Amino acid sequence: MVLAGDLRRLLPPGAVIDRPEQLKTYECDGLTGHRVVPSLVVLPETTEQVQAVVRECHAAGVPFVARGAGTGLSGGALPVADGVVISVARMNRILEVDVAGERVVVEPGVTNLQVTEAVAGDGLFYAPDPSSQQVCTIGGNVAENSGGAHCLKYGFTVNHVTGLVVVLPDGEVVRLGGKSLESPGPDLLGAFVGSEGTLGIATEITLRVLPRPECVRTVLAAFDSTDAAGAAVSGIVAARILPAAVEMMDRLTIEAAEAAVHPGYPDAAALLLVELDGCIPQVEEDLAAVESICRSCGSWEIRVAADAQERALLWKGRKSAFAAMGRVANDYYVQDGVVPRTKLPAVLRRIAELEREYGLRVGNVFHAGDGNLHPLVLYDSRTEGEPERARQLAEAILEACIDAGGSLTGEHGIGVDKVCSMPLLFGADDLDAMQRLRRAFDPAGLCNPGKVLPTPRLCGEVPGPYRAHPLEKAGLADRF
Amino acid sequence: MPTVSEIRSVHEAAEVLALAAAEGRRVSIGRPGGDVVVSTERLDQVLEHEAGDLTAIVEAGVRVRDLNERLAEHGQMLALDPPGNPTIGACVAANLSGPRRHRYGTARDLVIGVTVVLGDGTIASSGGKVVKNVAGYDLGKLFCGSEGRLGLIARVALRLHPRPESERTLSVPVDWASDAQRKARAILTAPLAPSAVDVHWPGRLAVLFEGGRRSVEEQLAAARDLVGGAEDSGALWEEAAARQGQARGRVRFPPGALAGTLARLEQAVVRVSAGVAHVPSGVVSRRDPAAVALVERIRAEFDPQGVLV
Repeated sequence: MVLAGDLRRLLPPGAVIDRPEQLKTYECDGLTGHRVVPSLVVLPETTEQVQAVVRECHAAGVPFVARGAGTGLSGGALPVADGVVISVARMNRILEVDVAGERVVVEPGVTNLQVTEAVAGDGLFYAPDPSSQQVCTIGGNVAENSGGAHCLKYGFTVNHVTGLVVVLPDGEVVRLGGKSLESPGPDLLGAFVGSEGTLGIATEITLRVLPRPECVRTVLAAFDSTDAAGAAVSGIVAARILPAAVEMMDRLTIEAAEAAVHPGYPDAAALLLVELDGCIPQVEEDLAAVESICRSCGSWEIRVAADAQERALLWKGRKSAFAAMGRVANDYYVQDGVVPRTKLPAVLRRIAELEREYGLRVGNVFHAGDGNLHPLVLYDSRTEGEPERARQLAEAILEACIDAGGSLTGEHGIGVDKVCSMPLLFGADDLDAMQRLRRAFDPAGLCNPGKVLPTPRLCGEVPGPYRAHPLEKAGLADRF
Repeated sequence: MPTVSEIRSVHEAAEVLALAAAEGRRVSIGRPGGDVVVSTERLDQVLEHEAGDLTAIVEAGVRVRDLNERLAEHGQMLALDPPGNPTIGACVAANLSGPRRHRYGTARDLVIGVTVVLGDGTIASSGGKVVKNVAGYDLGKLFCGSEGRLGLIARVALRLHPRPESERTLSVPVDWASDAQRKARAILTAPLAPSAVDVHWPGRLAVLFEGGRRSVEEQLAAARDLVGGAEDSGALWEEAAARQGQARGRVRFPPGALAGTLARLEQAVVRVSAGVAHVPSGVVSRRDPAAVALVERIRAEFDPQGVLV
């Protein structure tokens, strides 16, 4: 590629990769069904070097895609065939730990877990905890607005980023926010976080860290049906309790987890995992209430973890649930949909109907507290037609989520995976407004093109059947 | 004199803006100037409240206090406590908040969806009515602090919180800046979960505890053992709200630099963990010129004919 020579002059030795066998390493992220080998990969070490690369790309009209650890699940870091991948792997320094101000300043290649490790000795922690936290980067978390099991109480990445240095798609550098939570003018930082790498590249990130809670208690409760477990979740909400996490597993995922990692779970149709944290008096009060709510909803076994070791055991099965599916099926497809919490029972029943309709099994493991479903559609790629049927079933589940007033994705992002499903949730004018925002940041359309917003080239001229946006529905229902 | 246009629906707002664009008239949304002043006073319906989901969808003209009175019947609240009784639209557009931002954040942390009308009359929605949602760009956050310059906020979907069973306030005298910093740090690093940690400068540190009755009582006692002070009836929050309401400036500072910041201020209502002090007179905040230019590019896209003042 012509640009290779120019970029070598701008970057340290070894920071430009253009040998085909090395480029292949970057052909996909965690969404392995989509693969594109880029023309070039660069490994800059500073904001200035990222800026220099982006300026070159901008001048030459070459598209570019930023990449963290490549653990994303929606293809947000999928390369463009004639483009450059800008990896932040070498930007992995923690620049400042401000204990008194409860802030940490990092480069984008620092991993999620490293932030907590940097402040753990001072009694602080970084709240967002996506399950890939040992390897995923803060840069990627910012792009995807990552959540995690504990976002029910603590919120998402966007609630914990206070400042950003961003290289805009034309190479200009902009500073958004800082250590203060207050910032004048429109919340550009809030709009940037979760923009899936399409509005620029964050090269310096200021994070808020929090005092570690005084105590943590985890409750495991067994039920005879997901409906009964769901009723317990509603009961907890009605009792004014805000747990750190509320997770649910159904029979299929419990069996798979048991076969894979032997967490010693009860043989139940549904398990609820509730984690409470905070100061001791409040947690004790809430714990007693949660136990009694679970019992009154029919739970026949309740276990409370008293220490970190017991807690890890209760979480073990939940955390291994995705991987454990390999024990009960040859292949599986992970879906990520959201519904209002109160619609969970109805949507679970609809998923059971779809299982029968498509002749495939679906395991349900999900963040029940915030209605974020992760149905695992099981199939066998060796059976003719099954992969396609699994894909259709996964899509039908998504439509059920949207019909229930939910969303296309709770945490995995749109990326390339769901870009053509966007018209299911958003109308032409909604998408047009988003496109205008993107154009203000990236008029040349070079920054992670083909992600998030559908185009006729990607999805054909006819968008899917549009359903009125949840806000629109609310408005229409009440118009006199 | 500008004409006042009291809109009653999102579509009326779109018509007003489109018409103004066609006639070359300029529109004000809560800003000085303009030929047409748009008022959302009549856009005041609570469209949906799903108690089990802790969410609500409201029109922008609904006032915070009215909404909270309605939600209180269900033991819930919108955890926004700005001074006065502003509309939800104003809370978003001006990024208003109060002492409890320490625990709950500001409008940006509570808005889960919006319907806005852009300068050219385009009606656009983003987000939705679920709290956890990463589909598409978050226009709701973009409109936080937009001050009527990007478009009209017409409908807002909100995350709600349970109304606490009990709330109690500790008032702690602070003598000088470093004393205030020391005591505030002591509260923030203790195993307590306060909802608000303010310095009302000069004079006191104010701490609010909310939650279960027994838990709040124990926390209040623990805090008093730690930093002294006495329980307040809660009247100090009204006084702080009045002072914040009259404040014309906001000073931003790194939360770790509280003492140095207080030393430079004569009077302020300070939100310690957020790193912001509400001060009586205006402060010219330095803004990155690149950020200012970016906002102007967004304005050019959202309001291509420059209808909004």
